[in-house]
Amino acid sequence: MTAEAERLSIRSVSKSFGPVRAVRNVSFSIEACTIHALVGENGAGKSTLVKMITGMLPPDSGEILLDGRVCKFFTPLDARRSGITAVYQDPKLFPHLDVSENIFMGFQPRNMFGLVTKRRMYTETERMLGELGVEIDPRALLAGRSVAEIQFVEIIRAMCADLRLLILDEPTASLTPAEADRLFAVANSVKQRGVSVLFISHRLDEVRRIADQVTVMRDGECIVTAPAADMTEADMVRHMVGRELTSFFVRRESRAAGAVKFEVKNLSLPGMFENVSMSVRAGEIVGLAGLVGAGRTEIAESIFGIRPPKSGTVVIGGVELKPSSPRQMLRKGVAYIPENRDDNGLIVELSIACNICLAVLDRLGPWGFIGRSSESRFAKPFADDFEIKTPSLDALAGSLSGGNRQKVVLAKWLGSEPKVFILDEPTHGIDVGTKSQVHQRVSKLAEAGYPVVLISSDLPEILAMSDRILVVASGRIVAEFSRAEATQEKVMMAASRSPLLVGAGEERP
Amino acid sequence: MIANTNSALARRISTTLSRNTLRLRVFSVLLSLAAMLAVFALTTTNFLTLQNLKVIAFNASLLTMVACGESIVVITRNLDVSVGSIIGFSGFITAMFAAAHPHAGPLIIVVAVGIGFVLGLVNGTIVAYGRVPSIVATLGTLSIFRGFTYIVGKGVELPSSYLPRWMTNGAEATVLGVPFVVLVALLVVLAMAFISRRFPIMRRVYAVGSNPGAAVFYGLRANRVVLFAYAACGALVGFAAFFYISRVGTISVILGHDWELMALASVVLGGVATTGGSGSIIGVLFGALMLSTIDNGLVLAHAQEYWRMFIQGFAIVGAIALDAGIERRIMAIFRNQRV
Repeated sequence: MTAEAERLSIRSVSKSFGPVRAVRNVSFSIEACTIHALVGENGAGKSTLVKMITGMLPPDSGEILLDGRVCKFFTPLDARRSGITAVYQDPKLFPHLDVSENIFMGFQPRNMFGLVTKRRMYTETERMLGELGVEIDPRALLAGRSVAEIQFVEIIRAMCADLRLLILDEPTASLTPAEADRLFAVANSVKQRGVSVLFISHRLDEVRRIADQVTVMRDGECIVTAPAADMTEADMVRHMVGRELTSFFVRRESRAAGAVKFEVKNLSLPGMFENVSMSVRAGEIVGLAGLVGAGRTEIAESIFGIRPPKSGTVVIGGVELKPSSPRQMLRKGVAYIPENRDDNGLIVELSIACNICLAVLDRLGPWGFIGRSSESRFAKPFADDFEIKTPSLDALAGSLSGGNRQKVVLAKWLGSEPKVFILDEPTHGIDVGTKSQVHQRVSKLAEAGYPVVLISSDLPEILAMSDRILVVASGRIVAEFSRAEATQEKVMMAASRSPLLVGAGEERP
Repeated sequence: MIANTNSALARRISTTLSRNTLRLRVFSVLLSLAAMLAVFALTTTNFLTLQNLKVIAFNASLLTMVACGESIVVITRNLDVSVGSIIGFSGFITAMFAAAHPHAGPLIIVVAVGIGFVLGLVNGTIVAYGRVPSIVATLGTLSIFRGFTYIVGKGVELPSSYLPRWMTNGAEATVLGVPFVVLVALLVVLAMAFISRRFPIMRRVYAVGSNPGAAVFYGLRANRVVLFAYAACGALVGFAAFFYISRVGTISVILGHDWELMALASVVLGGVATTGGSGSIIGVLFGALMLSTIDNGLVLAHAQEYWRMFIQGFAIVGAIALDAGIERRIMAIFRNQRV
């Protein structure tokens, strides 16, 4: 097998979701027996590309060749049978079964009567574990194994078949540094056996350490493919964020901020985030930047009481308290607009008016009875103010477009007279035109004197909107930039550090 | 040095725990069964007599067979609340067949099992291919199967004297003092325990129940597995129905009424997770024994008959709550390990 042999070759592949062009005309190849890293910001199109390689999504155009043959997969199983296996962040395994059964399910070793022979299964598993240099008890139930061990089990299962390409999707996101080292050792030994590895990671130092080749994606396009030795971390960051900043968003005018209205003091939830502190002034937008999985949503949910923190307090309206339930924090005036608005923020089966009134139901009518008319009367000014485009307030919320849905969610919270807004990815999955409308709304909230915490993975958005930017990585606030200081490169560099460098290099428990 | 041996010990303990989680669960069921026996033995006078224990075993034997079937379905993360109606349907039709063809011999057993199997297929098809939530689907068939039995039976009752002599004799027969039915139930349990560990199809049943999403990635056809589970359950229930009609004095159309609740209670008490993927047949045996012991003990303790259902429901809810707690812990360890 020559080093130049192309294992997987991606040719002009494109994929759109409605108006969003997730992957545009991407071409690159993965050579045999190499570790090929794929890096890019959140939303750069990496996962969409992986889904197309593994048959979970069909490409709109272009083709994917495995060992020179065009492959058309309709299910991940097709891809597996051809030798392409992806190890995802959420394990596709059976928690109630033991380790070796998880590896052999579907093709267990059988005796002459067609019965499963567990003993052979265990010895086989032990042999394979040994070859990869991993120590796991084959008889132990999978539940209770660490994330790293679960990944090893998936890798070994993949290697039972004729594995040609192993895709590791953000494998180190939840590993300790020691576990990550073990994973890299395993990845290298997989490579030694003639398997190509596609390694997707946000942690650029790791990419430098183990990858032979690097492909950088940005906004759905393949920017560059080069040997890892030729690229520094700074180069990668430059390629990842190297776009014109002003192209999409109008940069918000920053205004002199008022007094501190909202504070978070030393909030900790072990395993999720630690020692998070921030203060937000009236009329100030504080951006929480970071990569998916850094812990930003967890912090927000903690402030809102969905995941009560282990320690730390929140100061709101001059009262210092420890969040313990959403009901409590709602009453104190925290408006949290979650990431997935269709699941958590909006009831699509109810009317628009109904949705706007949800947070204030008990104030609407006498003795808790709510009439249609009082609902509409209450909702009308908010709907007008937010310019929700709909023929009627009685229309179902589900009939609205993404941007208008987001407006309904904002209007709903405004009705409850909150003291602080926490917005989690408010423009996720919305087209560019509507995005700027949502941005205007958010700016207006700040102008009205509300303190706003904005969580966004969209770098240009967060740079344009925020007065201050806090960067979260591995559950800690690792950097703070003022509006003047912040650049895409600086924020990205801070966000993509691995936990080794975060804090004093201590291992997280 | 001490720290070293301590950690080695800790590791050995954790290895033992992680290998034997299921056995521990069964052990806990056995322990509560023993505790219950002790309580009744101390509080009532004639509980621990050979005669009474025989009664308990006899009562538990049919329930065990039905619960074994139910457990297969529960392991796939589904429910079958129609087993009582399957007993009624299969039992009544089989009794009519036996009365009409007294010389059919073992064919009678085939009829009973066959009817159960077909009714199971009906359930399985609706759940697996119709994508109807299992509780709704089988609640519907509970009514359909029972209703059909009413239509066929027209309210008639069959006295067991219509049945071939070998059937009614067999129900009374003992081998070395042990009732024949008890031996059959034990055989069913042992066979099922073996099958559930060694037959590939049963391993798939566990896998599908454990994580249906992952089953797709393994190329397991979850539909077929669920269909198999219902069919197997139906066949086992039909088999139990055969023994049921041999035993009761009068075969009426309400045969097996309420059995779905008892079967489900045995399964849950026996440590089968209602969230699927986990459970052992031996546990189900203990669960059925436990339920029969409660029944019997309450009678001997002169508790009023009205308490029976209350306590049975209490046991179900308690056991499910306990298991939900255990399951949450398992899933917490499995999923949120981002430490």
